[in-house]
Amino acid sequence: MIHLKKEETKAMVAVHGWSGILLGLLLYAVVLTGTVAVFAHEIGAWSAGHVARESIFEKPIDATVRRLTAMTPPQYHEAVNLFEIGDHGLGAFFHRHELDAEGAPTESGIYYQLDNTGRINRTVQGTDEEVFGPRNDDALSSFLVDTHVRLHVPNPWGLLLTGILGLAMLVAAISGVLIHRHLFKDIFTLRRRASPVLVDRDKHSVAGTWSLPFAFILAFTGSFFSFFGTIGVPVVAMAAFSGDVEALSEAVFGNPGPADPRPVAIGNLDRITADAISRTGEAPTFLAIEKFGRADATVTSFHNPKASDIEPVALLYNGATATFVRAKPTVGTTPSAGGTLAGIMGPLHFGNFAGILSRAIWFGLGFAMCYVTFTGMRLWVVRRKDEARSLAWLERTLTVVTFGLPFGLTASAAAFLVTMPMGSAVFWTPAAFLIASAGAILAGVVAPSNDRLTQLLKVATGAVMIVLPLLRLFVSGGPGWNEAIAADQPIIAALDVAFVVAGIWLVRGARTTESVPRRRTATLGAAAEA
Amino acid sequence: MNMFSLALIALVLSAVPIVMLCMGDPKRRRAVGGKGSGMAPGQRRLLVVVACIPGAICAGLGDAAAFLMWLGGCALIGWILAAYLPARAND
Repeated sequence: MIHLKKEETKAMVAVHGWSGILLGLLLYAVVLTGTVAVFAHEIGAWSAGHVARESIFEKPIDATVRRLTAMTPPQYHEAVNLFEIGDHGLGAFFHRHELDAEGAPTESGIYYQLDNTGRINRTVQGTDEEVFGPRNDDALSSFLVDTHVRLHVPNPWGLLLTGILGLAMLVAAISGVLIHRHLFKDIFTLRRRASPVLVDRDKHSVAGTWSLPFAFILAFTGSFFSFFGTIGVPVVAMAAFSGDVEALSEAVFGNPGPADPRPVAIGNLDRITADAISRTGEAPTFLAIEKFGRADATVTSFHNPKASDIEPVALLYNGATATFVRAKPTVGTTPSAGGTLAGIMGPLHFGNFAGILSRAIWFGLGFAMCYVTFTGMRLWVVRRKDEARSLAWLERTLTVVTFGLPFGLTASAAAFLVTMPMGSAVFWTPAAFLIASAGAILAGVVAPSNDRLTQLLKVATGAVMIVLPLLRLFVSGGPGWNEAIAADQPIIAALDVAFVVAGIWLVRGARTTESVPRRRTATLGAAAEA
Repeated sequence: MNMFSLALIALVLSAVPIVMLCMGDPKRRRAVGGKGSGMAPGQRRLLVVVACIPGAICAGLGDAAAFLMWLGGCALIGWILAAYLPARAND
């Protein structure tokens, strides 16, 4: 591989180690929740018991939107966003564009939450930041996604933090390539009988080498999403649009054309959705109506990538006549390499370009990233443990975070299943995570040894995982396997099985953790006697 | 052939040479105390090329989704083999 001079290698090892150890714990939290969030949609369906078959956009929505329009004050008729929520229900956000107290662009309006029969469940009024919080039926998946995206730190600091973590992951990946002289020669080498340092080093480098291309992809795309709105857009707006973010947004993502403010009722939305489905082969994921109720209204229908492609599709329609105008690139009005690159960032990061198979592969790669982060930090600690006894606290912290975080997440899932029927899941999902995390920290303080702590957290996580399907069935009142499979939701049964298998694996793993130190002690004792 | 079939077939076809590469890897064999010195470098290079052919076909057909699934799937197969086979050999 790349051969650096001795001094340069030493510097790179320091960069690699410190970038990992300083931000590794937070990076692990972001990567682990991101790995689980790959299945956020499926976890939402599993936890809330979704059994509706059809997308809301495969059913008539035109009459519903007109009914909501009549109920909505005219000042919020400037634009409408339509999207799916819950069990194929409809979310409709009637809004206007305005500036907040700090002069930043925002959207203010009324957000209607409807079920899949068109009945209004809830109406919320406010700015986009205020109305799009977690709901009782999606509190678990919202919690996961919010942890991954910004670690629950308020905007923009949370996004900046996760963006920096993405950059740290990039730095670690690049420096890892530079310091590893036999990257491909060692790609299958795991010395299990060697010293603990070598064992950890091999585990770290083998997993890191195999998942290297994806470390770059996931770190780069993650940083892109974090920095896009917080730094990218304001900087470009400052440089090219005198700081006017609205003007930038209109120039890059808007639909240029002569203004025609004459009042004209919106065209038939059912005709638009039917046409979009016939062109792309699947229902829209999002409909954006701009200049609603005007002669120059536009409707943009967003779709997942077509088969064999990874670039999402957007179709532009004339809002007044409900006729197709053109396919809309992600950036600008004509296809470009930059627009394609911007378009594929999402599918590359989320792995949602080819259904369950691509997501399963991305989940596995995310798990590999977690493993690389954990083994890297562990290697750093094990290497220095004999030199500085005080690092024992760091080893415990590492164990508390590595095994305590999955425990907290499974506890939050259990709390969601218990409290969702009572309507208090939005509070109890994060609360249970905090309580479980406090329990893991307490265990970290009182556990007699690091091995015992690992064992305890593994058993606790495994036990909760095994109980989750029972809570879903008997406490939350979710659908049974027959009902779920009959409703084309085999993922509900699959996740039940996955939780039980993972739970058993963790409990068995904890027993192994218990037996290994004993075996190691016995071997050392025999060696000493010899 | 649809995208899923293409990706799955490509993965299965690449998995075979990856398994052979893992089993014949000289350093791995030395690490687990296996018999023999493993595959010759030329043989290993040939297997690497063979393992890459299904991915090249996905890319050549313009199927970006199948290519990415193949690439990610091969990474997972390789990692799982590297992690699992030495453990079995130690047993």
